[in-house]
Amino acid sequence: MDGERVRFELFIAARYLRAKRRQAVIGIITGISVAGVAAGVMSLIIALAITNGMQRDLQDRLLSSTAHVDLMRIASDGISDWQTLLARLKKLPHVTAAAPGLYGQVLVSRGAKSGGALIKGVIPADERTVSGLLQQVNQGSASALEKQGPIAVPPIVIGKDLAETIGAAVGDTVLVTSPQGGLTPIGIVPKYQRYSVVGIFHSGFYQYDSTYTFMRLADAQRLFSEPDLISVISFKVDDLYKANEIGRQIEAAAGPGFQTTNWMEQNRELFRALKLEQIVTFIVLGLIVCVAALNILIALTMMVMEKTKDIAVLMSFGVRADQVRRIFLFQGLLISVLGTAIGLVLGYGLSVFGGHYRFPLDASVYSIDHLPFAPSITDGLLVSAVSLGVSLLATLYPSTSAARVLPAEALRYE
Amino acid sequence: MSKALLDVRGLSKSYATGRGRLELFRELSFEVAEGEMVAIVGESGAGKSSLLHLLAALDKPDAGEVYLDAIRVDQLSLREQAEFRNRQIGYVWQFHYLLPEFTAEENVAMPLLARGTARPEAISAARRWLSEVELGDRFSHRTGELSGGEQQRVSLARALVTQPRLLFADEPTGDLDNRTGDVVFSLIQRLHKAHGLTSVLVTHNLEFAGRCDRILRLRNGGLRPAN
Repeated sequence: MDGERVRFELFIAARYLRAKRRQAVIGIITGISVAGVAAGVMSLIIALAITNGMQRDLQDRLLSSTAHVDLMRIASDGISDWQTLLARLKKLPHVTAAAPGLYGQVLVSRGAKSGGALIKGVIPADERTVSGLLQQVNQGSASALEKQGPIAVPPIVIGKDLAETIGAAVGDTVLVTSPQGGLTPIGIVPKYQRYSVVGIFHSGFYQYDSTYTFMRLADAQRLFSEPDLISVISFKVDDLYKANEIGRQIEAAAGPGFQTTNWMEQNRELFRALKLEQIVTFIVLGLIVCVAALNILIALTMMVMEKTKDIAVLMSFGVRADQVRRIFLFQGLLISVLGTAIGLVLGYGLSVFGGHYRFPLDASVYSIDHLPFAPSITDGLLVSAVSLGVSLLATLYPSTSAARVLPAEALRYE
Repeated sequence: MSKALLDVRGLSKSYATGRGRLELFRELSFEVAEGEMVAIVGESGAGKSSLLHLLAALDKPDAGEVYLDAIRVDQLSLREQAEFRNRQIGYVWQFHYLLPEFTAEENVAMPLLARGTARPEAISAARRWLSEVELGDRFSHRTGELSGGEQQRVSLARALVTQPRLLFADEPTGDLDNRTGDVVFSLIQRLHKAHGLTSVLVTHNLEFAGRCDRILRLRNGGLRPAN
């Protein structure tokens, strides 16, 4: 297939598309095909830009609230001599920060109202280097967690949703009950302690806002009767997408009996759901392109019927069947390329416009105050490939029909 | 007598119809010498156009052999048939069959473009041939802007632009009035002589047939010289 022959086929295809039709309806269907492909491509680009934006926003907020890698004991028996270990692991390549933490399940109650919570005992200065939750305190302040030494009613920072569940506000005292109590002649008695709510944080994630509760590491160790033990060392790393391999490196450095999890593993279901949502969006909106491809099929089939005599004439002076096939294939592709190009320009244009002018959203419902747009080049390439591929499939029947025309038969009855 | 350029041996063709097979002709054999202009005459439905289709590799015979020089025309594959029609022959139909979306020069250049000739070269050849058929001032006219005679002359230029060895014309004046028909036929005659063509023409017009080197009459399935 040399260049000049392809140029000839494109020349005929383009002229047939531009020419005034004997049957006006073919021109109308061709126009609808172009508009359909453009609408499908545009919708896909915008929808994917929004889902990308949502995903990016969610990921950013998630990563600001959580550590990249957590190291813990496989046997859940706590990490002793953690100061030495932490100091050693902090020096590992790709590790930018590390903080100790002690987790424990508790019941937080105020009067008759109570809610389950996950206590994290922290050293605030260290914790701030790996997690942003303490920076998201918007009622009261987390600075009381910085105080050293015993306090009669120790400070506690709780999430917004937990605060609403138990009806607590800054300055209130709450009762924290730990099931890890002391052993008495009547069995294990839960341990409880009063704490003063010094701050309420709002991360926008229900999972955090409804369960996470921060207190000083020493207070948590006292509550859980675990003097000088921690349950986790949290890390920030320099490349969050390499959290998995950096985690393995930390595990190896920590020695036997340790395991790590990372932000991707901890939120795998969430990101899988987002991916699924993106795929479903792609399929649903891709149906618009399929309908447009059907229009291409109809337009080309009618065009082949209209042009049967011309095809026979072309063949009578030596145009080969495969050239005829390509003429109609190129026609379908030209419709698709035109529609796809218009769709890409409109899709990216509107996405950039949408990102610039920030369409407002109800933050209390969506936990974000504007519609985020993050158009991606990869999506454009994928959408274009699907659009051109589906259109190419639609051209197969009409172009093959055209190639089957027998010149003597077609012209005999003219 | 020059050597035979076209050699037809035992050619038979029939078509399936609702009432069985219709035999058009049986075991036709004839030769056309290089440089000869042969007219095939016969009544409507005698099979003249079908015969021309077989000779021009537009259709396949039931039996028989067709040779253009050393090329066995009846045994060509579909791809070879297309190549044969593009490189060896020119074909003029009763109706001009020009493509209305294209200009006169584009229509004429089409067979060259189809074989991969560069556009400037093809257009230049098309213009030369349009000038040959006295349409030097109609290069960029669409077919709808040309008269019937002019359209048929463009069609003749399209058939000759590839410089074929053999020209087939199927009632080239059949759709024209007498005066225009005469102009077109005279043009074919002139180009035939000027370019040393070998031509086979189907015509109903005995006066035009009489201006050819030889007349063959197709009648009752057989082909005989007409006196």
